[in-house]
Amino acid sequence: MIDSFPFEEWSEDIAGYWTFGPGDSTGTYILTVLGIALMIISLIAWVRLESRKLDAQAALLRGGGILPPASPTAPGPGFQEPPLAGPSTDPGP
Amino acid sequence: MSSLASLISSIFAQAPTPEELDAKITLDSAVLAEQFYFFTVVIMWLIHAGFMAYEAGVARRKNVMSTAMKNILTIAVVTPSFYYFGWYIYGCFEPGGPAQGHAGPSEFPGFCGATAPWAEQMGPNLQDHISAVFFLAFLLFSWTTGSIMSGALIERVRLSAYLLLTVLLGSAVWIMDAAWGWSAGGWLVTNYGFHDSIASLVVHGVAGAFTLGVLLNLGPRIGKFDRQGRPRAFRPHNTHLTLMGLMLIFTGFYGFYAACLVIQSTIFPGWLNIYLSPATLGAIAFVITVGFAGGFTGGWFASKGDPFWTLSGGLAGVISVSAGADVYHPSLAYLLSTSGGMVAVWVGTYIERKLRVDDAVGAVAVHGFCGFYGVFLVGIFAGGFPTGVNNIPSSFGGQAMGMLAFFPLAFLPGYLASWVLKKLNLLRVPPEVELEGLDMAEFQQDFYPEFERVPETIVLPTGEEVEAAPVLLEGYADVIQTGTRGGSR
Repeated sequence: MIDSFPFEEWSEDIAGYWTFGPGDSTGTYILTVLGIALMIISLIAWVRLESRKLDAQAALLRGGGILPPASPTAPGPGFQEPPLAGPSTDPGP
Repeated sequence: MSSLASLISSIFAQAPTPEELDAKITLDSAVLAEQFYFFTVVIMWLIHAGFMAYEAGVARRKNVMSTAMKNILTIAVVTPSFYYFGWYIYGCFEPGGPAQGHAGPSEFPGFCGATAPWAEQMGPNLQDHISAVFFLAFLLFSWTTGSIMSGALIERVRLSAYLLLTVLLGSAVWIMDAAWGWSAGGWLVTNYGFHDSIASLVVHGVAGAFTLGVLLNLGPRIGKFDRQGRPRAFRPHNTHLTLMGLMLIFTGFYGFYAACLVIQSTIFPGWLNIYLSPATLGAIAFVITVGFAGGFTGGWFASKGDPFWTLSGGLAGVISVSAGADVYHPSLAYLLSTSGGMVAVWVGTYIERKLRVDDAVGAVAVHGFCGFYGVFLVGIFAGGFPTGVNNIPSSFGGQAMGMLAFFPLAFLPGYLASWVLKKLNLLRVPPEVELEGLDMAEFQQDFYPEFERVPETIVLPTGEEVEAAPVLLEGYADVIQTGTRGGSR
């Protein structure tokens, strides 16, 4: 019979079983500190890993000769300054 | 006859006592509330699926995955930071603002003590059906603040810079404002009757103001403005994906709105808003739906039928009526949301053309401005409505007090944090990477490998669509020679 399932009694047993628990105990404090440490380390690692990737790719592109040199140059022969007035394609009133 | 009597007596013998009935009803009520918040969380996931699709569609092909990855990793960083810090801020800073300082567990024992990451209520707890799901609903609001910001910064912000900023916004800034003005114990509520029932300002407005601060340091995308400061337009690589994303966001909003209410029948007499004032779920759902209708209408007419702004107008319309969604008559909501849809287009255009700020998705106008607008409207159209457990009438002055408190609370952290990242050269990707596209640097691949690459185009201020390469190279030369990006600020 399902009514014979000792829910209340078992609930108390289960409530007492909480890995490194219960709340407000040394176990939960340690888990909290470890979790915060993982979070901070992850954020720092994201910054460093991305910086490495971006710097490497930027250096590759600069060295590839595709981009214009980093010195003052006049616009190319086909370049035209856009006129000062005209309808915008941006949505608006 | 005797068998009938024994049957009746056995039935009565098995009948629960009033105490047992009370315990069962209390349990049922708690479980119903638990399910309610659980499913609002499920529905709110659609907001994030929507933001990802929306922003990835707006991005150019070369930036699709780097754009989507921001939305995905928002979940990875805001979840732990909100669990360890954000929820505690909400629980423990409610009764106090600047005047009273930090409110300890003894001042608000029922909630503050329950929000620490090591608390009984935050772990497997068979006696508490509500704390965990209530936390999750707020966590989803926190993700939303990050997602609001992420679209504005696309195609030039470093992923890691965005993650740091979204931790600050999602797990500290917005939740502090929620403690002040979006809780029964917030000082703005208990002292001034501040009323922002479904978070026009506390979620949307604050995220928009924070985003504005970041955009001022981040600068525009290369090529966005010409040398006279006039805006050019980048073509979204997939407008259909963007529109589908917005529709997903709208669907998720129903979960968002529902989660802003409080219910548990054995504790409260009925539905309550976040300030514990009486409300109904039906009225709120009505206002949302009418709000979309009005917002689409306003966005369509103000933008002369632009599809992007028509759908964004729907969002703006809803945000404009969210603050008073528990109070407004549907007709009033229809009128106000139409104005919100129109205002968003005008403000978005102003921000781009006059302020020369490159907000790739119009987040500052749609979420930021309309968030503040929504709270402003409550001061005009719902003044006198009793708010919160102190029954303080809402008023224009109280609403203004909230706006004055929340703008600096949001803008300054966004500006200062992004300024520090900029000084450390950690805010923006190198200009070479920006030209090539972030996906190659971040992921070393094109995410449409079987589709032929066609030359990227850009729309000039004259309306002419031209090949983008010469324009972008000119912008690149300006950046590396003079450090300027067109005529932008």
